[in-house]
Amino acid sequence: MKILVVEDDKTTGPYIASGLREEGHTVDLVEDGKDGLIQATTADYDVLVIDRMLPGLDGLTLLKTLRGAKNKTPALMLTALSGVSDRIEGLDAGADDYLVKPFAFGELSARLSALTRRPNLMEQETVLQAGDLEMDLVRRTVTRGGTALDLLPREFVLLEHLLRRKGRVQTRTMLLETVWGISFDPQTNVVETHISRLRSKVDKPFQTDLIETVRGAGYRIAG
Amino acid sequence: MRLSLWLAFLFVIVSSLSLSATYFVARETQEDAIEESLVQVMAGYRATPSVAALAAVVRAETRETDPTRRLLSYRLPSGVIAGNAAIVQDAEGFSAVISGVSPGEVKGDYISLTRLINGGLMTVALTAQPLENLRKTYLLVFLFSLLPTCIAALSGGFFLARRDSKHLVTIESTLALLTSGELGARVDTGNSRQNDLSRIGAQVNRMADAQEKSMSALQQISADIAHDLKSPIQRVSVLLSDLSKTDDLPQEAVDLAERASDETQGIVRVFQSLLQIAQVEGGSPRAGFALVDLGELAATFVDIYQPAAEEQGRQLVLHIPDTPANISGDKTLLGQLLANLIENALRHTPVGTNITVCVAKDADKIHMSVADNGAGIPVDQHQNVLRRLYRLEASRTTPGSGLGLSLVAAIADLHEAELVLLSANPGLKVDLTLAAI
Repeated sequence: MKILVVEDDKTTGPYIASGLREEGHTVDLVEDGKDGLIQATTADYDVLVIDRMLPGLDGLTLLKTLRGAKNKTPALMLTALSGVSDRIEGLDAGADDYLVKPFAFGELSARLSALTRRPNLMEQETVLQAGDLEMDLVRRTVTRGGTALDLLPREFVLLEHLLRRKGRVQTRTMLLETVWGISFDPQTNVVETHISRLRSKVDKPFQTDLIETVRGAGYRIAG
Repeated sequence: MRLSLWLAFLFVIVSSLSLSATYFVARETQEDAIEESLVQVMAGYRATPSVAALAAVVRAETRETDPTRRLLSYRLPSGVIAGNAAIVQDAEGFSAVISGVSPGEVKGDYISLTRLINGGLMTVALTAQPLENLRKTYLLVFLFSLLPTCIAALSGGFFLARRDSKHLVTIESTLALLTSGELGARVDTGNSRQNDLSRIGAQVNRMADAQEKSMSALQQISADIAHDLKSPIQRVSVLLSDLSKTDDLPQEAVDLAERASDETQGIVRVFQSLLQIAQVEGGSPRAGFALVDLGELAATFVDIYQPAAEEQGRQLVLHIPDTPANISGDKTLLGQLLANLIENALRHTPVGTNITVCVAKDADKIHMSVADNGAGIPVDQHQNVLRRLYRLEASRTTPGSGLGLSLVAAIADLHEAELVLLSANPGLKVDLTLAAI
């Protein structure tokens, strides 16, 4: 992927850039809002990472200007502000996602890949597969290696969500947002316990584990 | 309006008093004048030398006198009556009867004078019509002077009252907007002329300007602090992650880096909570409020926390109504409120505790509560635990920032909800009452 990072912080900018490069992406890093706007309009990027507070031109104005010029490149906004109104402002300006500092690199990487993936072909399918696991969305059944698994409704939804995004990391906050439809800051390992319950049914009785933990980021089903 | 009614009433009283006074004086004068002329006429008759002469004069004058204006009657000693009227005595007293060309009852009021002249009884009566005319004139004057005044006073008062109430309504609605967090609201002072209310309006505007200025300064400061503090924290966690990735690092150092990283997360958390409380208390705009079904929200959070609660040896119980319990609010903040209450109950209760999340409806209110049957909080500490960073002695060793309940209080306040801490005998019940929609 070709990614533009507009971030003035001398540590965070290079950190994001080198992390993304390590993952195999092409990254352009600029520190000034005006340069960012010029860069974003002149070159073709798959995704933009824009800090909200920038010298020259602030992130909100930059994004509004881009969207005003019909530039629809997916954009993730980085910010030190976490208020609800700040979030709404960011999304209103045309950001597709919003990440509050300080963040773990895994969270950023997972969110960027969620922004850029084309809608999965599995979207229309009625049977989802991963390894020897099969989920029948019509009959609401899950089998692994021919053995039927007895999942609670919430476990079913959680597994379906991971299967639909096979190969991509889902962070804890992303799971809360998409599976439960709520974004908040839990201080208890709520997502971890849901995942461990799911694992006890999906992975524990079998030889290989399907649900991987991605350190510092979240969970993924390989695919 | 009431004032103008009073003024109009007072004006009517005073004018009618003075008008009636002048009327009575004028009437007195008129009466005196009539009586005076009667005396003079009578003096003329008295000058006649004999009965016959007087009778002749009376007869002569009668021919030229209109009985509706003047009555003349002279009863000669012989009993014969000369003149245009006869004084008749009947059961009801004296009355005059017109005689001569057109006999009949005498109509209207007269003022009369009777004297004995030359042995006969001479009566002259003049019509009191001028007095009646005077009365009518005064009545007209009264009407024409008072009616317009009253109408002017009343409509003027009405106009002023309406203008003032319009003013009051704008001031009231502006104040309501200001308190709801709409800091840009101002009273429209327009080009209306200065009066007490427009001065108050201008004063309200100046106050709102000052408030908006200090609010935006505060927001700028918290944004600056957030940026200036979070960026270095971000850098620290970047550096720590780089450190733990260094090759050939002893496991001990990796663990230390991890612990340091966790601590920075702790710093961020406290900091985030403080910022959020400040933002919510600063009246983060209610304009973003939408319909929220508290029953559904409570069910979502019980679902999210159920496995974690069971893992920690506690039971989460949900009671919600069958129909939506809708309120107007911010779903994310209300969710954070529920999360904080549930986490508090998980953290500060012994294993085996039941935690009940309950949503109930009555006529126009929605009640949401989180209750546990744990140790509870001493009643005298109920207020303290809502304070920022306050922690009970007993919970010093459990994790937590002491900000959870103050954020709950701030969010409740933003939603104009009533927040009460109750003893659940045993345990703590945090009860929230909101207006249903």
